Amino acid sequence: MHADALSALGNLFGDRLRTSLETRICYSFDATRKTFLPDAVVYPVSAEEVRQTVLLANRHRFPVVPRGAGTGFSGGSLPVRGGVVLSTERMDRIVSIDTENLYAVVEPGVVTETLKAAARERGLFYPPDPASLKFSTIGGNIAECSGGMSAVKYGVTRDYVLGLEAVLGTGELLRTGVATAKGVVGYDLTRMLVGSEGTLGIVTRATLRLLPHPEAAVTVLALFRTNRDASGAVNAVVAAKVTPSAMEIMDRTAIDCVRAVAKVPLPAGTGSALLFEVDGTADSTAREADRVEEACRAHGALEVRRASDMKGRDELWKLRRAISPTLLQLGAVKLNEDIVVPRSRLADMFDFLADLSGRSDVRIVNFGHAGDGNIHVNIMISGADEDETRRAEEAVAEVFRKTVAMGGTISGEHGVGISKAPFLEMEVGPLGVAVMKRLKECFDPNGILNPGKIFLDEAAVRG
Amino acid sequence: MKDADLKALTGLCAKCGTCRTVCTLYPERKTEIAVARGKIALIEAAMRGEDGDAEGVQEALTDCLLCGRCERACPNQVLVEEIVMKGRADLAEEVGIPAWKRVLFGKVMPSPAATGIARKAAAAGQRLLPGKIPTASGLHYRFPDGLGGKGRTVPKLPGKGFLESLGKAEAAAGEVMLFVGCVFDHVFPGVGRAAYETVKASGKSVAVFRDAACCGLPAMVSGDRRSAAECAEANVRRLRAAEPGAIVFPCGSCLLMFKRNVFSLLPKGTPGYDDATYVAERAVDYASFLLSSGVLDRIPDPPSGQNVGEIGYHDPCHLSGTLGKGPEAREALSRAVGPAFAEMAGADLCCGYGGTFNVRDYPTSSRIGETKVTVAARGGTKVISTACSGCVLQMRDMAARTDPALRVVHIAELVHQALFRK
Ligand SMILES: Cc1cc2nc3c(=O)[nH]c(=O)nc-3n(C[C@H](O)[C@H](O)[C@H](O)COP(=O)(O)OP(=O)(O)OC[C@H]3O[C@@H](n4cnc5c(N)ncnc54)[C@H](O)[C@@H]3O)c2cc1C
Ligand code: SF4
Ligand code: SF4
Ligand code: SF4
Repeated sequence: MHADALSALGNLFGDRLRTSLETRICYSFDATRKTFLPDAVVYPVSAEEVRQTVLLANRHRFPVVPRGAGTGFSGGSLPVRGGVVLSTERMDRIVSIDTENLYAVVEPGVVTETLKAAARERGLFYPPDPASLKFSTIGGNIAECSGGMSAVKYGVTRDYVLGLEAVLGTGELLRTGVATAKGVVGYDLTRMLVGSEGTLGIVTRATLRLLPHPEAAVTVLALFRTNRDASGAVNAVVAAKVTPSAMEIMDRTAIDCVRAVAKVPLPAGTGSALLFEVDGTADSTAREADRVEEACRAHGALEVRRASDMKGRDELWKLRRAISPTLLQLGAVKLNEDIVVPRSRLADMFDFLADLSGRSDVRIVNFGHAGDGNIHVNIMISGADEDETRRAEEAVAEVFRKTVAMGGTISGEHGVGISKAPFLEMEVGPLGVAVMKRLKECFDPNGILNPGKIFLDEAAVRG
Repeated sequence: MKDADLKALTGLCAKCGTCRTVCTLYPERKTEIAVARGKIALIEAAMRGEDGDAEGVQEALTDCLLCGRCERACPNQVLVEEIVMKGRADLAEEVGIPAWKRVLFGKVMPSPAATGIARKAAAAGQRLLPGKIPTASGLHYRFPDGLGGKGRTVPKLPGKGFLESLGKAEAAAGEVMLFVGCVFDHVFPGVGRAAYETVKASGKSVAVFRDAACCGLPAMVSGDRRSAAECAEANVRRLRAAEPGAIVFPCGSCLLMFKRNVFSLLPKGTPGYDDATYVAERAVDYASFLLSSGVLDRIPDPPSGQNVGEIGYHDPCHLSGTLGKGPEAREALSRAVGPAFAEMAGADLCCGYGGTFNVRDYPTSSRIGETKVTVAARGGTKVISTACSGCVLQMRDMAARTDPALRVVHIAELVHQALFRK
């Protein structure tokens, strides 16, 4: 980066501009574990400072990469072309919570759980619950349109964003949306920004919809012999007009994986597991849990466990929560995909994945949000064997082709970033890509914001 | 830094960010370099040969309380403390450690006689300090702001250490060995005495470990592994030679040293390893010893209805967290003081001491510590009890700064009071 640009940033940020190699290294990675060094890191505390940064970037032509907590799984916050990482860590105030009109106004660096807890204290509920909720930020959630366990009932981040304040690639400050339950004036620029991965604007403030907090919840764990039985139970639960707030599936590979390291007692022959949660009033949850149980038993459940108190529910969730951490014990590198298929095709997809794992001789561990048809496909490899790596990469491409062919999508949660850029066109087609590029031009004519993401950039993908 | 072990240790970090949520330092710094994930990235970069400025990396690795909260929260069980200490050691070899630390760790700490002399010199020097503050925990001197950090207070040093107060032949041999630790010997001999007498109340014969070198932790965390290993080896050799049935530690940090850290200094294949294993197998925390030895059964029924809920317990990071000995202390405490004990607000928040961290960045250390004691006091706690020398030092300073009526004691002092109540 040009020295003039750095000194201008120095004037703007003082000691909140960091250029030491040590700090730059600390902002060179995210949860993909790939690394790209930025030239500098800044920590703005206001929208105005963000705006000034982008104006300077236009003058001196350096990239600006917004970053929340750097927990992304698709490389969204990696400075693939250097430039400035703009960290929102210090824009972390909950500005207000309106208990009458049910919304919150927050800065982008607020950690998701912090907001959930603050809402909870007032009897309110912010439903989005990515598994990273304890550390990821609202800004990052918005930019990736994160989803979570409760998406099946409550939807994803997009469904709770009423309005945004964002600095565009031009340095203009745009306010979008409403603070009311309804609003249909003009194009939906709010939705344009949600899921745009920091390439169209930098969110500096968000107005988020809240709900009354459900009174009670019941958790049900059902263990099956096969994925087919479990998938059948998922569809039966839906057919029984129950909408659980979580419906998670773990296949045999995932269960084996947990078993290898954590002691969770399971009946012999367990080859698939479903975890449900229903919420609402104490009465309704009991009734719905009954129906969930019935559906599971009707589809050959080996065992059904159920709990309504905090401690018991935690115990049941243990199995599900243990998966992700145990994965790294299976291979140093995990290719972590988050495909979605129509719910009715879940069983077919699991069969395909089992077959693929055998054919390509790579270990594939699957679990996910069955209710949404969202499967986390984790291909575990050593990273040291070239042939294995090649087979794994081919397997990923095959999974994506199959997903699109089934009418699904290649990313339900993690976004395109750099990891899925090579496959963008496979899903949205050439016109889709072209229109997206035109939109990008309109928000960010000089290509300042998060360059190298979403659209294929060979250098970036290789890392 | 070319250390295969280090690579294996760091390789498990998924860069998930969980450590950011619990880091004691993160709320103060709000930057990735403060948390485990950032520090691990730095070490990885250095191993790849990207270290431009070893001193910068050293600075980053030093900026950590080694409270271990990240390690306990980490879903992949990444051994952060070990990684940070190893990283510091490798760097110390490359760029050296500050001269004052070298003298202290190399010359003073390994020798029991020298630490005694150092205390006497310090006690004499202390009389020159202005600004006495009477506090509930004992007299404190306020440091002039120019020296050692704004608002810092230090406890009045006693003329005599605990060991010195014992008769020459007293407690020289016994089936139970008490490891008092330097702070409870030299700075708070009353704690050393209370621990000794309560352990003796078990009816077992009790010896006090007199030949102690420093436990080596300060040198170890500063990256001076050689001095640390020398201390550790001397200690475990002498401890084993005494052939105790159990070794009781009133200080959690010392205990951690002999239960766990010592193995990274004296790993398998080194001469001290067998001795270290012998010691680790017999090392117990003070509260566990009380529970298992029947001392608590001798306590007359604790008074009820008095000071209900006013005594809290602070979890020393290493003792409660790393070693998992939180319930034992609470159990012992309830048996000793009855309903006066209640769970304290923010019990598991780190006190911010972090050993040498407190010296290197007193302003930050004291902000963390003030928050700690203020949260407790606001929750109604009037007496904070704990079982780690660093925590006692730090929280007494914090109480002197924020609320001189707040008492900070070691649980041994409360047990002693209960046992020998008239
Ligand atoms: C253990 C683990 C579990 C996870 N579970 C889930 C899950 O269940 N569901 C899910 O959807 N994801 C999950 N993720 C992925 C990740 O946590 C989410 O994508 C999250 O939203 C990223 O938030 P962040 O604050 O870390 O953003 P970052 O990773 O820092 O950034 C993500 C993207 O957002 C952009 N960005 C950040 N802040 C702003 C801003 N203020 N304005 C504009 N753009 C911005 C960045 O440029 C980047 O493109 C998980 C990750 C981990 C490590
Ligand atoms: S919690 Fe553990 S795995 Fe996750 S980033 Fe921190 S050290 Fe790494
Ligand atoms: S040991 Fe404590 S201060 Fe150091 S990185 Fe871990 S949590 Fe933070
Ligand atoms: S003194 Fe105790 S609480 Fe404080 S840092 Fe050390 S172990 Fe943690």
